[in-house]
Amino acid sequence: MNPGIKYSEQELVALLQQRNESSFNYLYDNYSGSLSAVIHAIIPDQETVRDVLQEVFVNIWKKIELYDPSKGRLFTWMMNVARNAAIDKIRSRGYQDTKKNLSVPDNADNAIGGVSVQQTVDVGLKKVLTKLKEEHRVLIDLSYFQGYTHEEISKVLSIPLGTVKTRIRSALTHLRTMIQ
Amino acid sequence: MNVQEYISSGIIESYVLGLASAEERSELESMCEQYPEVLQARIAFEISLEQQAVQNAIQQPAAIKEKIMTTVIGSAKVVPIKSTPVVKMNWLKYAVAASLVLLAGSLYWNISLYNRNKQLKNDYANTVVKMDNMEEQIRMITQNPNIKMAAMKGMDPSPASFATVYWDTTSKDVYLLVNNLPKPPGDKQYQLWALLDGRPVDMGMIKNEFFIGQKELLLKMKNASAAQAFAITLETKGGNPEPKGDMYVMGKL
Repeated sequence: MNPGIKYSEQELVALLQQRNESSFNYLYDNYSGSLSAVIHAIIPDQETVRDVLQEVFVNIWKKIELYDPSKGRLFTWMMNVARNAAIDKIRSRGYQDTKKNLSVPDNADNAIGGVSVQQTVDVGLKKVLTKLKEEHRVLIDLSYFQGYTHEEISKVLSIPLGTVKTRIRSALTHLRTMIQ
Repeated sequence: MNVQEYISSGIIESYVLGLASAEERSELESMCEQYPEVLQARIAFEISLEQQAVQNAIQQPAAIKEKIMTTVIGSAKVVPIKSTPVVKMNWLKYAVAASLVLLAGSLYWNISLYNRNKQLKNDYANTVVKMDNMEEQIRMITQNPNIKMAAMKGMDPSPASFATVYWDTTSKDVYLLVNNLPKPPGDKQYQLWALLDGRPVDMGMIKNEFFIGQKELLLKMKNASAAQAFAITLETKGGNPEPKGDMYVMGKL
C-alpha cells in the first residue's frame, strides 16, 4: 500500500463499501488510535480495549453500508459504533464477573443508589469530564460513559426526568466549549 | 423556534454523541436540512470531537493490527466451497477445465459490455431528446416576434435573485426562466403572479423539485390574457389565492 496516499472521507467510504482491503488498512492506520481512545475512556483495562477495538473494526467493515453521510461524519459514526461496543462489553455478564473478582471494595463514596461511578482512567473525553461541575459530571458519566437511559438515571438519582434531560443538555454545551 | 437558541440548546451535542431520542434525531436532521447554520454547528462539533480523540490517540502494538486485519478481512470473505477430494486428472481434463473457465469468463465479459453499451445508448438518446427540447424552447422565445419579455429583478429578501418571463401576446402562453432564485425551504413554494392594474393574478407554482437535480430551461406557467408586470413571491406550499409571502423578484413588461 502506498503510504503517502490520503483519502477524503467520501473516497474512503466508497472504497470500504467495495470491500477494498487496502482501504481497510488505511482505515486502521488512521483511526485505530483515536477509536482506542474512545473505548479506553469507557473501559480501563487495555486488554479488553483491544478486544473491543477488534469487534469495532469487524462491525465497521460489515456495516459500512449503513453509514449515511447526511447524518454525520465518518468519524462520528465510527465513534458511536465504538461507544456502543464498549458499553455492551462493560454490561456483559462475563465482564461484570471478572470485574467482581478484581474490584477493590473501597469505592463506596462513588456509589450512588447502587450505580457505581466507574473507576476508569481519565483519558480523552473522560479527562474533560473532570473539569465539569459535580452534578454535570455524574450525569454525563452515567449517560455517555455507562450508557444509562435518561429514565434509568432519573430513577437511580431520584431526579425528575425533565430535569435529567435539561441538565444533560446543559452539561453537553459546557463539554463542547471545553473541547473547542 | 429561534435557530441560535436551538443551536446552543445542547441537542446537537446529544445527537452527535448518540444520546438523543429518535424524536430529537429526526428533528435535528430536518433542522440541518432547513438551516445551514445548524448543519455547520453540527459539523463543527463533530470535528472538534474527532480532534479531541486524535490528540488522545492510543497507538496499539503492530501485533494487534495484524490480528485485527486478519480477523476483519477474513470475516467478510465468502465461506469457501468445500474442497472436493483430489482425484487424478490427466492433462486433457485440465485443458478442458481451463477452457471452460475461459469461456465462462469471456461470456460474462461480453454480457457486461453489452449491458454497458445498452445503458450508454439509452443515456445518449435521453440527452438528445433533452437538448432538442431546449433548442425548441430557445427558438420559440428568440424567434417569435409576438414574444414580450419581463426581466424580474431581485427585491429586498434576495437582491441577487433574477428571473425572466416570456409572454406570447397571441397565444397568451407564459414561460418562466429562473435565472437565479434561492432554493426554497421544504414547506414553502414560489408562486408567479401577473400584475394587472395593480391586482395580482395567480400564474401558477414553481415545483420545488425544480431546485434539485436536472433543471428544465423554461417552465410553462398558466396563460395570461393581459399583464403589465410579473412578480414571484414565496408562499406556503401549494400557493395562496392572494400573495401573502415576501416578494423575491418583480419586473414590468
